[in-house]
Amino acid sequence: MTSRNSFWVSSIENHKRRIWVWIVAALGNLMAYVGVLSVYLSRIRTRNADGVYKTGEEFRDAMYQATKDALGFQTHLGTVLVILAVIIGVQGFSYLYDRKKVDMYHSVPVNKNKRFVIIYVNGLIIYLVTALTSILIAVIAAASQGAVNGEVLAVTGVGFVWNLLFFLVVYHTAVLAVMLTGNCLITLAAVAVLMLYEVIVYTLAGNMKYSFFKTVSGFYVTQSPKLSVFSDYSEKSWRLKQLTDVNAMVRGVLPYYGKWFILALVILAAAWLCYRKRPSEAAGRALAFTRIEPFLKIIIVVPAGLWIGMLVRDETYGNTMLTVAGMAVSGVIACAVMEIIFDFDLRSLHKHLISSGVAIAGIIMVFLVFEYDLTGYDKYLPSADELDSVAVSVDYYGSFWDEDFTYVSSADFSREHMFLKDVEPVLSLAEVAQQKDSEDMDDARNVNVLYRLKSGRQVGRCFYVDFSDPASGEQMNSIIRTKEFKDGTYQIMTDQASYDKAAKITYSNGAVNVVLPASDAQKLRDAYLKDMEQYDFTLAAEERPCGQITFSFPNWMEDSLNVYSCFENTITYLQSQEAYYPIQLNAEDIADITVTNYHHELEENDSIMPAGEAAGVETGSDFPVDNTVTKTFLAQEEFEQIVGVIYPEFMSSGWNDDRELDNNYDIYITFKKDTAYPYDRSNYGVYYKFYTDKVPEFVKEATAPGAGD
Amino acid sequence: MIEIHNLTKTFEKIKAVDDVSVTIKDNTVFGLIGTNGAGKSTVLRMMSGILKPDSGAVAVDNMPVYDNVEAKKKLFFIADEPYFFSNSNAQAMERYYSGIYENFDSEEFYRYLESFNLDKRRKIGTFSKGMKKQLALLLGICAHTRYLLCDETFDGLDPVMRQGIKSIFAKEMDEKGLTPVIASHNLRELEDICDHVGLLHRGGVLLSRDLEDMKCNIQKVQCVFATVEEELKALSGMEVLKKEQRGSLRTFTVRSTREEVAARFATVDTVFYEVLPLSLEEIFISETEVVGYDIKKLILG
Repeated sequence: MTSRNSFWVSSIENHKRRIWVWIVAALGNLMAYVGVLSVYLSRIRTRNADGVYKTGEEFRDAMYQATKDALGFQTHLGTVLVILAVIIGVQGFSYLYDRKKVDMYHSVPVNKNKRFVIIYVNGLIIYLVTALTSILIAVIAAASQGAVNGEVLAVTGVGFVWNLLFFLVVYHTAVLAVMLTGNCLITLAAVAVLMLYEVIVYTLAGNMKYSFFKTVSGFYVTQSPKLSVFSDYSEKSWRLKQLTDVNAMVRGVLPYYGKWFILALVILAAAWLCYRKRPSEAAGRALAFTRIEPFLKIIIVVPAGLWIGMLVRDETYGNTMLTVAGMAVSGVIACAVMEIIFDFDLRSLHKHLISSGVAIAGIIMVFLVFEYDLTGYDKYLPSADELDSVAVSVDYYGSFWDEDFTYVSSADFSREHMFLKDVEPVLSLAEVAQQKDSEDMDDARNVNVLYRLKSGRQVGRCFYVDFSDPASGEQMNSIIRTKEFKDGTYQIMTDQASYDKAAKITYSNGAVNVVLPASDAQKLRDAYLKDMEQYDFTLAAEERPCGQITFSFPNWMEDSLNVYSCFENTITYLQSQEAYYPIQLNAEDIADITVTNYHHELEENDSIMPAGEAAGVETGSDFPVDNTVTKTFLAQEEFEQIVGVIYPEFMSSGWNDDRELDNNYDIYITFKKDTAYPYDRSNYGVYYKFYTDKVPEFVKEATAPGAGD
Repeated sequence: MIEIHNLTKTFEKIKAVDDVSVTIKDNTVFGLIGTNGAGKSTVLRMMSGILKPDSGAVAVDNMPVYDNVEAKKKLFFIADEPYFFSNSNAQAMERYYSGIYENFDSEEFYRYLESFNLDKRRKIGTFSKGMKKQLALLLGICAHTRYLLCDETFDGLDPVMRQGIKSIFAKEMDEKGLTPVIASHNLRELEDICDHVGLLHRGGVLLSRDLEDMKCNIQKVQCVFATVEEELKALSGMEVLKKEQRGSLRTFTVRSTREEVAARFATVDTVFYEVLPLSLEEIFISETEVVGYDIKKLILG
């Protein structure tokens, strides 16, 4: 007689029946780590052979980076992890689908909890052993090629925990899906629903908001899924991969480690509870708990019906009656399909009519709430008394960073740094926007607002402001002149520490790029901050910058700041460093100017006339006529007339935008090679634009239709 | 002892077992008989702790069986289609069950395998249906649990194998106090094995009796009476379950002991009389007809 009823004996017995899963997991992990690593390293070696890397150090760094990319935060590893997690989770508990197996396993004297633990732990062991072995092989292979250092190992470790936690969330979800269902195909569908439902609902809600409401803003308050590991994993893996500092990487992953760990625990607890409550007779059925069928039907049919309804709405150009009809029909079909799936029986399509009715009513009700804005979404305007502060973003999306020089969006920066207490101008602009359509505005500009209510709630909205309206301009000045606005819009205002670490400073007037020593950062910043005191809406909207200072920081972060002609402190400092060059070019330095006139005014006619007729040319072709005329000017007196009425095309224009520039013309200027001006000759020339209505007559004539070179 | 009290189980609005109460005494062979869909398998699965009853209770040696490892250690369930691991052989199944059942006797198992000409290394997937049932029975017997619950396990076994299993049962009952519970839709399959029979129909128990009691208390008498008065005298005070007449030959099924019947008929004037043994089938026909069922339709087809 024998007595081997121990945990390990049961565990080994369980492993014997999971050999194919071991093989799949081993292959998957080997491909994901060793396979990908060898591809990455071989790519670097090929580049090295092609002479891409100038020094041995560059080559070594590239090898380190390739190993980090392969073993750390490899974005497509997620697909392998999802597949493995689902296979391991579903196969482990797949006996629950088969009555014969259930009869055997549930009749033997094995503690139910122990069986769960054995299967669960064995699944985890399969992943851990195969992943760690693959990583070890990959590290040895990389080390043999000199592609491993301490940092690579650290990133590999941080990345492994990241991937393990992601695996756990998906693995637990797969186990939960098995517990909720009684059939493999339905389990896979359940995994998809559990993993993607939140994403789908958020996407649908977002689409509907943008379709029905005009003040929707995803700028400050993003309606992103809170629990979906897929969105976190794909988005964050990519960002983490960009980080060069391991400490920054750890700081970046820690919140997700915590979130995913808790999420994994909660899902595992739910799976455990369902396992305990799951009736043995559920084997082979669609759902283990038939009582949830009506609820499940409603929560699946409502978004499905709304999706289809939105497609119908698009196709019918917003016809409400047809949309409602489309939603009702799609709801009926979806309900019938769900019932057929629940019972695996075509005759069940008309079962549970009450829940079907509730689902269809739900679809139509949600649609009507959006269609007629029954929640007053677009009418939302808090009172000044309700508000604690507001943040405003006006058509400005610069680049921002944190203390690790990791990218921070302009919305995040503004949200964290802008706390406007004088809320009246913002409310006033929002009120005007509610009364006036953007199409009735001469110069409608998008403004994003974050209302911070005293209750702690935060509401994001956007609306249009007419920049050409003097009254709106006054309100804008009231906002932009405040220190709070500037602090929340320009990082240079408050972040001295970063600017002390500037690696490079460049000043440009559009044609000349002068590099200033990084040690100038502090003095230049002081001068710029003094000038920023006079910065307001009027200046930004009416005047174009005369130059631009660019601060370069570690991790490829840059900040480009406009310099206006009234920024005397900045200009004086630049002049003292012999770095200032006026926006107007010196005609004597110019070798030639090539002007291209696109004659867009003729294109407008082309759209209503047969091709070729607009230009008075019989082409005999159906293709649009190319009306472009190009003329190169070489005379000094022509240069002198042109340089006074042009502006660098790639210079930031502030809020003046292209209002004053004539997009009909492209101007390409090449400079003489022997000038005293330190022109950037790498591109041989610079593009400019004419100011509107300032195009010299001789240019117009030389580039008239039929003229040119 | 397995005690079943007011057991009820419903599957999606269909009542599979309805208020069943049965007591299975130790060291007897209990036959659970019923047509397909009568609820035999459901009762056995609840007795094995696989299914949780909607109401009522199953106690194995005074322990509730559902989700109770101690109670399950006392029983071994053999399903109508026993499950064996894919690509496994008898040896692999022995290793699994010997790890689970503390008293599993591996040596005995291999001895039985040889006696039944089952190859321990041959893949079970290549076994015939009968061989699989034999293997399941041998695993169950060698687990040495007190109760062996067999769902349609004997159906389809050839007479030699049946005899072999019967002798093992007899030995195990004698030596280890085994209590087999055998569910079958065929009364004839159980006739020579069972000590006690429970008849299930439409989820409920029609009757549950000791076979010996049933056999001792029901007699079939064939006779030819001298006069009608003598017939009335013979049957007076006797419970007649069934009465047939062919010419002057009367056949009665009566509830009484053989001695009582013989004594009564000896006192009346008969041309001829004989007390005949009843088959289990005939006993059931008589018993169930009394309560208004046509047993032939129920379990004899």
